Amino acid sequence: MTIDDLLQQLQPRLGLEAEAEHEVLEEIRGHLEEAVATACARGLGEAQALQEAATAFGLEEAAVELRRTHAGRGTLEGVTAAALPVLFTLVLRWLIFAPDGAAGAWREMLSRWALVVVATVAILAPLLCFPRRRYALALWIFFWGLTLVSVVGPVLHW
Amino acid sequence: MDTLDQMRKGTTTLAILKLLVDTGASMHGYQLARALESRSQGSFQFKEGLIYPRLHQMEQEGLLQSEWEGEQGSRRRKIYWPTAEGRHRLAEELQQWRAFSLGMDQLLGLGG
Repeated sequence: MTIDDLLQQLQPRLGLEAEAEHEVLEEIRGHLEEAVATACARGLGEAQALQEAATAFGLEEAAVELRRTHAGRGTLEGVTAAALPVLFTLVLRWLIFAPDGAAGAWREMLSRWALVVVATVAILAPLLCFPRRRYALALWIFFWGLTLVSVVGPVLHW
Repeated sequence: MDTLDQMRKGTTTLAILKLLVDTGASMHGYQLARALESRSQGSFQFKEGLIYPRLHQMEQEGLLQSEWEGEQGSRRRKIYWPTAEGRHRLAEELQQWRAFSLGMDQLLGLGG
């Protein structure tokens, strides 16, 4: 039995998303390595030290609690990452288009500070809010692409 | 779960914050588990792995911050330290603990 074997046994019980799972397993690996090294320094053999470290760690109990602690977080981040661009898109559209959908004064609107502020916040928000920046950024780019097409397209008669 | 276990579970956040603030050093999970046990002279014993869900929970609540120490491929450790919000929570919880402890001492006739 090695630390890798223990982590492999633990992995399916965590039920976490890949990124969170990788971090949690790395953290547990570090803990077990420290515990084994300490036990070996006390004179135990490698196998016995690992056995002692695993028992003291309580892999089963920790897996249950870790699963509970992280439950739904990835989903929540995903939903937020998807919802925020839509929200900002609606605000931007409202700023550019009149309530009746006419974009008569859109050129003037583009120079308004309100639009600049909302657009800047919209672009920077995922960088500030999400630990999973690449995922949020990819979604952001996708929705911004759609927004640009939907806003600029009608004006240029595409 | 016995009474001591229940009390420990309810005070782990306080104990972790106090330890980190008192030592003034950032610590990884193994160090924290060992330090808590040694500081309580063995009365704060628990499955060491249970410290991680609590640390992650505290990080989600903004009480702790963390970062990885060490290079990829070498021995890496995730170290934690208290945020300003964590220090504020510690002050609050210590105050509550003192009031609770004093009240219980009086209730049980242990006040001296």
